[in-house]
Amino acid sequence: MTDAVVEVRDLRKTFRVTERQEGLAATLRSFVRRQRRDINAVAGITFGIEAGEVVGFLGPNGAGKTTTLKMLSGLLYPTGGEARVLGFVPWRRENAYLQQMTLLMGNRTQLVWDIPAADSFRVLQEIYRVPEDSFRKTVGELTELLELQELVHKPVRNLSLGERMKVEFAAGLIQSPRVAFLDEPTIGLDISMQVRIRRFVAEYNRRTGATILLTSHYMDDVVALCKRVIVIHHGQLLYDGPLADLAERMAPFKVIVATLHDGAAADLSVYGTVVARDEGRITLKVDRQIAPERAARLVNDLGDRLTDISVEDPPIEEVIDRVFSGERVGTAP
Amino acid sequence: MIDVYRALFVGQIQAASQYRVQSILWMLFAVIRPVIFLAAWVAVAGAQGGRVGSYDVRDFAAYYVALSLVANLATSWNSYEFEFEIRMGRLSPKLLRPLHPIHYAVVENIVWKMTTIIPMLVVLGFIAATFDARFRSTPAHLALFVPSVVLGAALAFLAGWVVATTAFWTTRVHAVATLWDRAAFIFAGQIAPLALLPGPLQTIALVLPFGYMLGVPAEILQGAVDVPTAILLIAVQAVWVGIFYALLQVVWRVGVRQYTGVGA
Repeated sequence: MTDAVVEVRDLRKTFRVTERQEGLAATLRSFVRRQRRDINAVAGITFGIEAGEVVGFLGPNGAGKTTTLKMLSGLLYPTGGEARVLGFVPWRRENAYLQQMTLLMGNRTQLVWDIPAADSFRVLQEIYRVPEDSFRKTVGELTELLELQELVHKPVRNLSLGERMKVEFAAGLIQSPRVAFLDEPTIGLDISMQVRIRRFVAEYNRRTGATILLTSHYMDDVVALCKRVIVIHHGQLLYDGPLADLAERMAPFKVIVATLHDGAAADLSVYGTVVARDEGRITLKVDRQIAPERAARLVNDLGDRLTDISVEDPPIEEVIDRVFSGERVGTAP
Repeated sequence: MIDVYRALFVGQIQAASQYRVQSILWMLFAVIRPVIFLAAWVAVAGAQGGRVGSYDVRDFAAYYVALSLVANLATSWNSYEFEFEIRMGRLSPKLLRPLHPIHYAVVENIVWKMTTIIPMLVVLGFIAATFDARFRSTPAHLALFVPSVVLGAALAFLAGWVVATTAFWTTRVHAVATLWDRAAFIFAGQIAPLALLPGPLQTIALVLPFGYMLGVPAEILQGAVDVPTAILLIAVQAVWVGIFYALLQVVWRVGVRQYTGVGA
């Protein structure tokens, strides 16, 4: 293995689940004889992450993202394969490892509901043995970055979801971890709170050099934070490489948006597949290789009728959707 | 570790202070059962000319007052809490901190006991006065009661965790915990003082760990056993604590590998 911060080789996790049909008879039968089925949540994935990287971990629901994060944080024992984070085998849960790592789950709370977060921070300070001066510095920075001044002295149960999430972030970072696993950090938050959390994660990475692996269903999170993405589906790795290359590899087409004075009547189907038409604004899907030539022809043919034209990659959501539809792309060079 | 405990205590006391009324109600609820048994035994003794075996009415009063106090100091509810924590995913963040989850439970237990002990003593003082309880304990008994109740509490706590750990396999531990509590109900000295159990049941009770959680400290406080017997019983308590401590190490190590982090 290399000297990467996160090293994963052929990591696997199989869950054994009990199944039964609906209905009383099936219920009674299941008392006597249970039907069990193995589910390969993670089916042998290999990747590495260098220090200071922010990597997006993408996949549809049930792809194995959270299971992988749980194994890398040490919560779950794998069924097979190897992983090292900061040189530690995570599931041994050595204190020296736990002190340098955090797993933040957007839909889970780790704070005590009945007391203000400031008091929970103190408990965490002692548990992680953070010296007083570092503690004050860290809490000061987190308070500033996350605008927590008003929030930390209220009992956690009195905070709104977004407020609680910010406080959860602070609680998860009291120990100044070198590696942070973020599982859906912006789930359920409104747009402005999502933007703040994104800015915070980027700033935190810049200030501390922490290595971050994050999952999110909001592509905006990924676009804003991650230069590199790892895509998994059905527990297997589909793509590992720059986010920018994902579109190129996965979507063999570009999108040309042409705006015309008299667009409502224009027929541009000879230039490409018309996928949208919004008054004068027409969106065409064109094969990636011939997109520049088609754009040039459009400018040439339409002349003054054209008020604007752009050639873009398809929206990242669309690219990801193609990936999830089952097409294997492999690792970027 | 002392600093960790101090911080946990402060946090837990703050949390507990939000639920003072609930704590008092739980405490009163815990006293009701022994008082019912006390009333029943007083009636039985009355019908039999004032005695049942070696116990008269005032001995029963002393025993059940002592048992209530011990139950308050030595009972733990961790198996139920633990199931909730596993099902709701609350255990996950605790597992990922450099502190064994058992320490939070230790502090919760001690804080609960601290917050309820004063009103408990008031209630028990009232019951003792009402039934004219007779304690036969000497200063030596009182001195031995301290290690005995501490060992009883440690035993109940560790055994509770061993039971709770089965939640790693079953997720639902309620049934196992209830079975355990029912066994404790019979063999820990709650239905009757261990000395009054019929022959075979008494033998079983002495072999099983339950009596060493509650009945033994209560009998020592009450002065129902002589000092050498009390010392012997405390030694047996210590052995049981050692056994459950070792058992917990094993089941925890195996169980935590089964943890699937459901709901988290």
